[in-house]
Amino acid sequence: MEAGSLRLPPGGRSLDERSPASRAADPFFRWGLTVLATLVLALIAFFFIFLLSKAHPALSKFGVFGFVFKDNWDVSRNIYEAWSLVVGTIVTSAIALILGVPVAVAAALYVTELCPPRAKGALTILVDLLAAVPSVVYGLWGVFVLIPHLKPAEQWFSDTFAFLPFVGGSVAGPNVFIAGLILAIMILPIVSAISREVILTVPRDHKEAALALGATRWEMLRIAVLPYSRSGIVGASMLGLGRALGETIAVTLVVGNAPNVPHQIFDQGYTLAAVIANEFGEAANNPLHVGALIAAGLVLFVLTLAVNATARAVVNRGLAA
Amino acid sequence: MSIMRLAPALASVAALALGVAACGSGDTGNSNSGSSNSSKSSTLSGAGSTFAAPVYSEWANQLKSQGITLNYQPVGSGAGIASLQKGTVNFAGSDPALAPEDKRGLTKGKPVQVPMFFGAITMSYNLPGVTQKLKIDGATAAGIFATKIKKWNDPAIAKLNPGVKLPATNITVVHRSDSSGTTKGFTTFLSDYSPSWKSQYGADKDIKWAAGTTGAKGNDGVAAAIKQTQGAIGYVEQAYALQNHFTFFDVKNAAGKYIAPTLASTTAAGDGLKVPSDLGISTINSPNKTAYPIASQTFIDTYQDLCKAGMSQSAASGLKKFLSFGLGQGQSVAKQLQFATLPSSIQSQAMQAVDSLQCNGKTL
Amino acid sequence: MTALTAVSGRRRRADSVARGALMVLTGVALVPLVLVVYYLLKRGLGAISWDFFTTDPTGSFLGNPGGVKSAILGTIEIVALATLIAVPTGVLVALYLVEFGRGKRFGNVVRYFVDVMTGVPSIVFGLFVYIVLVTSSFVGVGFAGWKGAVALALLMLPVVIRSGEVVLLLVPDSLREAALALGAPRWKVAFRVVLPSALPGLITGSLLAVARAAGETAPLLFTSAIVLGTSFNLDGRMNSLPVQIFTDVGQAQDRLVTRAWGAALTLVVLVLLLTLIARLFQRRNRYT
Repeated sequence: MEAGSLRLPPGGRSLDERSPASRAADPFFRWGLTVLATLVLALIAFFFIFLLSKAHPALSKFGVFGFVFKDNWDVSRNIYEAWSLVVGTIVTSAIALILGVPVAVAAALYVTELCPPRAKGALTILVDLLAAVPSVVYGLWGVFVLIPHLKPAEQWFSDTFAFLPFVGGSVAGPNVFIAGLILAIMILPIVSAISREVILTVPRDHKEAALALGATRWEMLRIAVLPYSRSGIVGASMLGLGRALGETIAVTLVVGNAPNVPHQIFDQGYTLAAVIANEFGEAANNPLHVGALIAAGLVLFVLTLAVNATARAVVNRGLAA
Repeated sequence: MSIMRLAPALASVAALALGVAACGSGDTGNSNSGSSNSSKSSTLSGAGSTFAAPVYSEWANQLKSQGITLNYQPVGSGAGIASLQKGTVNFAGSDPALAPEDKRGLTKGKPVQVPMFFGAITMSYNLPGVTQKLKIDGATAAGIFATKIKKWNDPAIAKLNPGVKLPATNITVVHRSDSSGTTKGFTTFLSDYSPSWKSQYGADKDIKWAAGTTGAKGNDGVAAAIKQTQGAIGYVEQAYALQNHFTFFDVKNAAGKYIAPTLASTTAAGDGLKVPSDLGISTINSPNKTAYPIASQTFIDTYQDLCKAGMSQSAASGLKKFLSFGLGQGQSVAKQLQFATLPSSIQSQAMQAVDSLQCNGKTL
Repeated sequence: MTALTAVSGRRRRADSVARGALMVLTGVALVPLVLVVYYLLKRGLGAISWDFFTTDPTGSFLGNPGGVKSAILGTIEIVALATLIAVPTGVLVALYLVEFGRGKRFGNVVRYFVDVMTGVPSIVFGLFVYIVLVTSSFVGVGFAGWKGAVALALLMLPVVIRSGEVVLLLVPDSLREAALALGAPRWKVAFRVVLPSALPGLITGSLLAVARAAGETAPLLFTSAIVLGTSFNLDGRMNSLPVQIFTDVGQAQDRLVTRAWGAALTLVVLVLLLTLIARLFQRRNRYT
């Protein structure tokens, strides 16, 4: 080894050699992080168990199966069966993901790979700006702008494509489609920003290798960038999904708040998060009602868990292949 | 640059935040921006009826010079009572009178409810082509809100409005999605006139509405929905109907007359009512000939012995001052805000209840 | 050596179409932004004035309604505290998951629980804090700014952890191995190599969490409540912009509704400023 390439103190040892002193910090480091992770886990577990105990009156009265799969949410009669809420949640979140993720990933790809360098900074900030808007503003904008302006288009679509399943009938002002659309807009910044970070870490030699082999830019993205980024993009989408599932205020302003299963995409609906926002204040002195609302929150937990587990499995299988 | 260089920045932000938090004022949340001397100041906290919120807020503002600060959360009547039961507020604002189960949860002493003023619940609609004032009665309204009557030119509506050309537009029903004293008032009115409504939907702060109706959060949400949808009908408090320049129905009252919601007809709803001993009146469907039938009352609920319930002496006397003002000069303030004043008989009984408020056994 | 494949017309067309589509979709992403900002400006600019920023809301409906000073200060205080709690904790837990928790059962358990938490509605965190901290006598009954900060921190934590994990995983193992080969202890590898190279991504993730927290109403409604006056006491009720917006926008007075929109505009500008500052910092750090 040449003396000039390493800064060697007199005596010839490497500066960062594992001296006993610095090595001693290592177990504390590992131990410290483990303790912190355990504490966070304990907090989450406490959170979960606490909510489970509060939800118990409702879950025992209606049964977990009855609560989730039966459809009758009737507050004045104290009956809480949440199927219409579950369907509404799934439908709005699905619409949000279907509309939002492709646009977000496309924007991330464009900004990092294709757009002229001068525009990069401005475009990045603009997409970030979407995250700065509070959810209540999205909801109100949906109420005052989207709903009235999209109604004619929705009615036209509903009439023209009535042969498709879930399309047809008259358009209610607030409806699940608009809720899904607003959610798609709200998850755009999260999915896009994290996807952007992920795409930025694709090693340059992967991309250059594809280009050197004669790939067009799009082919290079398809062959070198997207596969490498896939698990990160899925992670970003899961965060977006989390936001979509849990969004409360914006959804309750535009979804119509009708505890009925929507039969077509322009029907009113209701979501698990929105019902909590609407009803918790009043429910506070009725343990059964509170229990039902908290059970609704728990159903969201399970939904998130299921989708996340599926996504991880899909990604892992892809990586292993 | 590494994480190490961030550390001092983070540390100084932390220090700043802690320092800022530490040198806060001593009382919980008591920072008056106006001129009030701290020896006489009392901070009151309340929660409940959204209906009444503007009036309570304005009363407190006018009492600022006497050292009164009010933090009132307009979270709805039910939530207000729940907060009072949990002890997080000094008083609750509730449109419906206290039900027996509410009273059972108020365990810090004997609960007291004081009626404060009335307000009209209008049935507003969006029919740009129709310029005449439309009439409606309870049974027809129940049919509309149950989605049995689906179009504006339905014979039931036409029968009450001879000579008016009603369009064939679909009726879109808008109601509250959140729990609301306004809903309770309106559904009580519908239940009084429609046995089928009473058995199927009932009268409550939150009911299971028919499929195909739209739920919106708050009076403002219902107003926005009505405003945007041609053919929409919904129930909103008068202040919101006026703000949005809505047209609303003249409603048939118990004496058979069609009455428009005005301040006079709303006050008249309290005239001649039999007042129960706990002052829990209901002005819906009043028998008075000139009364508007969908007038709602609103109460302030608290405990008879305020200090035993946890308030300080100064806060207790502040609350008494607040209530006395409200029942006195405050009535004209309410009027300016488009609410109806109490008739004198009820006002005097309410004053008696306020006079009987105590602190640790001694009248304030 | 085989000649490089000439790019066929079909492939060239596919390339143009795809690139055009990506550009169009990026435009599509920006359309709602333009519309929302336009609407925000249209409804909120009318409220902006010197008084708007320097006076507290008075609660008066007949007289002067006041500005939103206490809301602005309250949001800054509460969000700062929430960030202080959530970001360091979240980054460290993400570090744990990536350095010591890969493939291990305990790491997987933590990971699954954190995943679940990302889907919890913001209002549930508010309710949790309401039941555990506000109404129980565990820390004293009553609303408090710090309790609101705790609710927001709970909301932020899963996002910071999850996005941090994604980003830390992307730091190539070769970097870690190189540092270890040079004799650095694990903790130095983590703090001097891994975290700095992931810093831009960590900042992005944290910014997203902070932006979300700053705009959330539901958790604060039940924990720090509404109050008119400016307060620096985090142990008492504290006003905040989302709660002020939420309360004002539902009033039957047009000037209060305008104030709500002005407050919303202020909130967006605040978060935007924060984002800009962080991005500037990030740009100086980024190595491609």
